Amino acid sequence: MSEQQAEVTTDYEPRIVAFLCKWCSSAGSDLAGVSRIQYPSNATPITVPCSGSVSPMYILSALKKGADGVLVSGCHIGDCHYIEGNYLARRKIHLVKELLGFVGVEQDRFRMSWVSAAEGAKYSQVIKDFVEDLRPLGPQTKLKADRS
Amino acid sequence: MINIQDMRDTARDLLAKNEVRAVIGYRRGSSGMNAEPVVITDAAQADELVWDPTCFHNLALYLVEDRKFLAHTRAKPGLPIAIVAKGCDARAIVVLMQEHYFKREEVYIIGMSCEGTGVLDERKLASQGIQASNAAFDGDDYVFTTAQGEKRIAAREVMADRCLECRIPYPREHNVVLGEDKTGRVLAEPFAALKRFEERDAAERWIYWERQFDRCIRCFACRSVCPMCFCDECVVDSISFPVTAQTTAEEKANRVRWIERSAVRSENITYHMTRAMHLAGRCVDCNECERVCPVNIPLRLLNNKMEREAREQFGYEPGASIGAPALVASFLDNDPEKFIR
Ligand code: SF4
Ligand code: SF4
Ligand code: FES
Repeated sequence: MSEQQAEVTTDYEPRIVAFLCKWCSSAGSDLAGVSRIQYPSNATPITVPCSGSVSPMYILSALKKGADGVLVSGCHIGDCHYIEGNYLARRKIHLVKELLGFVGVEQDRFRMSWVSAAEGAKYSQVIKDFVEDLRPLGPQTKLKADRS
Repeated sequence: MINIQDMRDTARDLLAKNEVRAVIGYRRGSSGMNAEPVVITDAAQADELVWDPTCFHNLALYLVEDRKFLAHTRAKPGLPIAIVAKGCDARAIVVLMQEHYFKREEVYIIGMSCEGTGVLDERKLASQGIQASNAAFDGDDYVFTTAQGEKRIAAREVMADRCLECRIPYPREHNVVLGEDKTGRVLAEPFAALKRFEERDAAERWIYWERQFDRCIRCFACRSVCPMCFCDECVVDSISFPVTAQTTAEEKANRVRWIERSAVRSENITYHMTRAMHLAGRCVDCNECERVCPVNIPLRLLNNKMEREAREQFGYEPGASIGAPALVASFLDNDPEKFIR
């Protein structure tokens, strides 16, 4: 149905769920906004207390609900408000990424970045790149729940 | 080689001297060749215990059951509980202690070295066309009792893959141990099946797993048999959502359900991905989940993938030491981060 249509028409717009740490990346995305930096509107931001609080369950759930890509973005190493949350996130997310890749889900559907509150420009670049990398992959159907 | 009588004597002594309140071990099953788990509480029962190539069950599961039972009945544990443990079982016990499920002094580990062998893979035996009523260890061989008489086979021909690949076939954590430490015996290269599988490209891998996940009937046998799946409430169940007469349909519809219980592909995948994540750094490769799966889902591949990742990327070995932190609750400064922008 709509998925097939999206594949044949060229106006497929990837949908991204972005889990943003409230201390950095979320503020970074705000900065991109108030600085009036133009970037694609494909990402739905979800503010989380820390990148370390992102459970693999969130990622799987987003993909299950039809996200084409998932981004987890946190503070730079050394800058986590909770000291080590982003170190833990780095490890956990490496594992999720490897696992999804192992069962054959395109690894490019999943991304992590460090974006500080001052890096509005970097945030917009991360989203731009992600959208461009997702486009050739087409809609994500592997993990999506069949609600028909 | 281990003398079964030594194991029985150890159990008998412990119970007779009132050092433990029970011994978890194996006895002859009531049908066929396979041993079955048993809990004995009386020294006179010690002669029921067996030790043979069909002792594949990971008995650490029953330590978890015991703990749950104690919590449920609010009983004081009192004396420790003894358990017969192979190398993998002992590692499972260590993981449970790492996670403070119980304390070291609450468990008495009767370690059993696998020496030059390990446990049987029933599928391999069946494919050799052998139907046996009994199995026994004999050096590096297994001896089966069949209708045609005794049949001797080199253990490595019918051993479980995980035993062939086992790096430490010895329960390092123990109170007493039977058999020699043959760590370093190399019977097969670890992660062999995983390596073979990874030669396929992503599209082929998906076709393979899609089929596997479609077949899962969500009986949860894999979860029930795993000593690491000890949560009172699994993320799959969400039983703590209280439904009362006042609960509105909207509340019921809006409660968080990470995974539906229906056995459809998307939910099955989410279940198995979540399970693999929850077992990363904890799974001891006892392969019980794959053995009990009624539809033969290759769960070991998934678990092995995580195990090798933990080992190669983070230098982590599950069940190596009681004091070690959990894989996902620790980090190293040089953890891989090439994938991060
Ligand atoms: S993988 Fe096998 S054992 Fe586990 S729930 Fe599915 S069918 Fe049952
Ligand atoms: S996941 Fe399977 S192999 Fe790993 S500890 Fe649990 S039952 Fe054993
Ligand atoms: S507070 Fe931003 S990653 Fe931990």
